[in-house]
Amino acid sequence: MKGIIFTEFLELVEEKFGLMMVDDIIEKSNLVSGGAYTAVGIYEFSEMLQLLQNLSKNTKLTIDDLLLVFSEHLFKALIKSHPNLVAHYKDPMNLLASIENHIHVEVQKLYPDAQLPTFEMVEKTPTKMVMIYKSDKALYVLGKGLMEETFKLFKVKGEITYRKIKEDGTEVEFTIIKS
Amino acid sequence: MSVHEIEILKRALAREKLARKTAEDILETKSAELYELNLQNKQANEKLASLIKVKNSELKGFFENIIDAYIMMDLSGNVLKMNKAAEALLGYKLSEGILNLQSLTQEKDSDLVSASFQTLLQNGKITNFEVNLITQNNILKLVSINSSVIYDEHQKAIATHGILRDITQIKQLENQKEQLLHELEKSNENLQEYAHVVSHDLKSPLRSIDALVAWIQEDNKEHLKESSLAHFQLIEKTLEKMENLITKVLSYSSLGANMQRTENVDVDALLHRLLKVMYVPKHVQIQVLNTLPSLTGDEVKLEQLFQNLIGNAIKFNDKTQGIVKIAVVDKRDFYEFSVSDNGIGIEEKYFDTVFKIFNSLQKRKDSSGIGLSMVKKIVELHQGTIWIESELQKGTTFNFTLKK
Repeated sequence: MKGIIFTEFLELVEEKFGLMMVDDIIEKSNLVSGGAYTAVGIYEFSEMLQLLQNLSKNTKLTIDDLLLVFSEHLFKALIKSHPNLVAHYKDPMNLLASIENHIHVEVQKLYPDAQLPTFEMVEKTPTKMVMIYKSDKALYVLGKGLMEETFKLFKVKGEITYRKIKEDGTEVEFTIIKS
Repeated sequence: MSVHEIEILKRALAREKLARKTAEDILETKSAELYELNLQNKQANEKLASLIKVKNSELKGFFENIIDAYIMMDLSGNVLKMNKAAEALLGYKLSEGILNLQSLTQEKDSDLVSASFQTLLQNGKITNFEVNLITQNNILKLVSINSSVIYDEHQKAIATHGILRDITQIKQLENQKEQLLHELEKSNENLQEYAHVVSHDLKSPLRSIDALVAWIQEDNKEHLKESSLAHFQLIEKTLEKMENLITKVLSYSSLGANMQRTENVDVDALLHRLLKVMYVPKHVQIQVLNTLPSLTGDEVKLEQLFQNLIGNAIKFNDKTQGIVKIAVVDKRDFYEFSVSDNGIGIEEKYFDTVFKIFNSLQKRKDSSGIGLSMVKKIVELHQGTIWIESELQKGTTFNFTLKK
């Protein structure tokens, strides 16, 4: 998993809950990296899972809720570091429709070892899209959060719902409606 | 600050340090990779640049050195480039002014030219398009054009280029050849007709002389001396020989340049039929060594061919036991026949002349000097060749081929 996800996550934890919380969830987890993350590095996904679980335990917030909050923060960070990727699009629907065929293609070029989720387009009209998310990381809630942030960025109202195809969340159907 | 807090800060600091170190290592490796890649790119670029240089110089050499005229035009028919050969052909130089396809063509050809230009753009090429072009000094030149379209990287047509070949002279020669052939055909016809008429005309006075001589003999039977009667007989024989000669000339001239009939001829059957009716003296033995094949040809002429060769072999045989052998060998596209004898033989210096008309080597009353020239003509009509092997006193072999 890309280091930027870890650094942004820990920054958010520090911002919301303080340095003590950061130290605590790192100390409670068994991390190969020792919790020393850099945005340009790559780390095991299991480290993120442990950090999330420990944060959830400490804050009594569900992992899904934490991910939603994180997605808001992550989105801003991503936009800041790759502004030209977004400048390309005039509409959230177009941007979301291009994740698979444009954005992820570029990401893969930049980071050949990145493991990206896939978004398979099932239905597409100017106002409605149905996409199937597939990833063994099952971070569909993070995905949903990022989609919502996209709508917010373009100041367009939209509704994003999902339905799990596989119980463990590695395959999820997203329905995106632009209102 | 509590000890606990200090511990937390220390740990955070240690993590930050470690992270920074990791980041620095990663970036160091990345920049080394980038440097390496950049170097490779540079080398590849240099290689490409030198390759382009080589290709350009090759193209330039090709453009300047091809013997044929080379012209490049834009899509409106404006000439963009032409080589020395093109300048020489058309008499124009691009340095002296613009040149357009329209100004190179005659008014009456303009429809034809614009139609072919359209075909060129549609199909991407035209081949052997023949048109008259007007040169700078107003001379018409017939050229054959092979042209193709140049496309840019998006497959959009951007120009056309082609090779112009001056075929003015070739066309003239072709026309001349056709004319000559036509004339030759006509004069051949005339000749044949002439020979026909001449031999007929020659025969009738001969017959008159024959009749007159007979009447003189009849009228003066009692008064003529023995020697005079012998002379009269000689006159009659000579007349007969003359008539014979004329008949042969007639048949030679009517052989014609083409075969009149082509059919499947069973040469074996033909030969055995012929041998039944030919006069073969008792001291001569004729041996047919193989079964002769069937082939496409003119039956009557093939019979004349064998009759002449076998006749000669019998005629020029001085041995007490004459032998004439006829054989055939199957060669891929043709049959090779041979008629050999153990007769008087022919000197090598005469191998060619014997085939020429009126070139009898021996002055014999039964030899017209036409037979072998007819034989040669018949062989050639069947797309074959004929040649001689011979040794004086030992015998002669006539070999000839006939196409299957």
